[in-house]
Amino acid sequence: MTVHAVWVISKAGGLVFSRSYSDVLPPQPVNTILTLAGILHGIHAITARLTPSPIPGVPVTGLEAFEAEGWGGKVFLTPTGTKFVVLHSLPHPGLDELVRSIYEIYSDAVMKNPFHTPEMPINSSLFESRLQTLMAGVNGPQ
Amino acid sequence: MTIYSLYIFDRHCECVYYQDWHRTRPARSPPSTTFKPGVHRLPPPQSNTTNDGTQQRESIFANPNPNTSVNGGDHNNRNSLVSTNNGRSGEKGGGGVGGGGANKGLPFDEEAKLVYGVILSLRNMVKKLSGREEAFTSYSTGTYKLHLFETLTNYKFVLLSDPSSDSLRFVLRQLYVGPFLEYVVRNPLVDVDSRDRGVDNDLVSCVAE
Repeated sequence: MTVHAVWVISKAGGLVFSRSYSDVLPPQPVNTILTLAGILHGIHAITARLTPSPIPGVPVTGLEAFEAEGWGGKVFLTPTGTKFVVLHSLPHPGLDELVRSIYEIYSDAVMKNPFHTPEMPINSSLFESRLQTLMAGVNGPQ
Repeated sequence: MTIYSLYIFDRHCECVYYQDWHRTRPARSPPSTTFKPGVHRLPPPQSNTTNDGTQQRESIFANPNPNTSVNGGDHNNRNSLVSTNNGRSGEKGGGGVGGGGANKGLPFDEEAKLVYGVILSLRNMVKKLSGREEAFTSYSTGTYKLHLFETLTNYKFVLLSDPSSDSLRFVLRQLYVGPFLEYVVRNPLVDVDSRDRGVDNDLVSCVAE
């Protein structure tokens, strides 16, 4: 599995972090990613609405993963509404663990940082370097 | 493996065919202003407020002679009707237990628009991200998975199944190559650019596998 990119979307639908980790997908201007993140936020809400057979008592969930022919995307929604989007290559063993460790790094490096304003873009070199190490471990053996 | 519903959209973004099978929250029929014949077999909008028995529902159907199950087509027609009715009663029961409003399905036309909107935006997003013509194939949520197969003529085949199923694009492709080409494209009675359709028996049997 190769991780192509990681986005973090705030609960209002704004992009607060995006980083590309491979050159399989062409680099996009930040504005494009910002737009796409907003669209994804909307799609997430609509897909929950389209559930064909909801189980009573169980909350409906929105988009969790999407796939194209050569790559896919995983959307992980935290209980506080922050979304992590991971774009990855297609056989994806260990993706769930990867997303969880990204969440862990986020909680450690961003949420515990007293100088971080919630819902604002993430400017944390600790977060970036720890993500970089994680991705190097995942992408490296390819 | 469960399959919930099938939509076919044409190049005018219109839903030209719809069928559902195991939905506990069925689509409601659209209001009479936007009702189009031949797309789906949901009961038409209720103009009469009687507590309708099944016979009456059947008689409202687009099929002129639904009670005679002499050939396979009518038989399947009745099957799809029965499943719809079961879903309806299930919905009523569920609504009584836990707040009916949230459990009510969307009107069919609204739902079709939402499905089309979602696949269109995801398709554009995938195209933009990959920088070339790359087809978006499926997405999944906690409760269902949506598969998309797009033909060269811009017909979009959309299938909703349970989330654990594998890629069902080949089924959609078979559906296109088999029944759709045979009974719709090559059928001089079907006006391809409008909406009337009538190939249901083969579609149903295809799903039975």
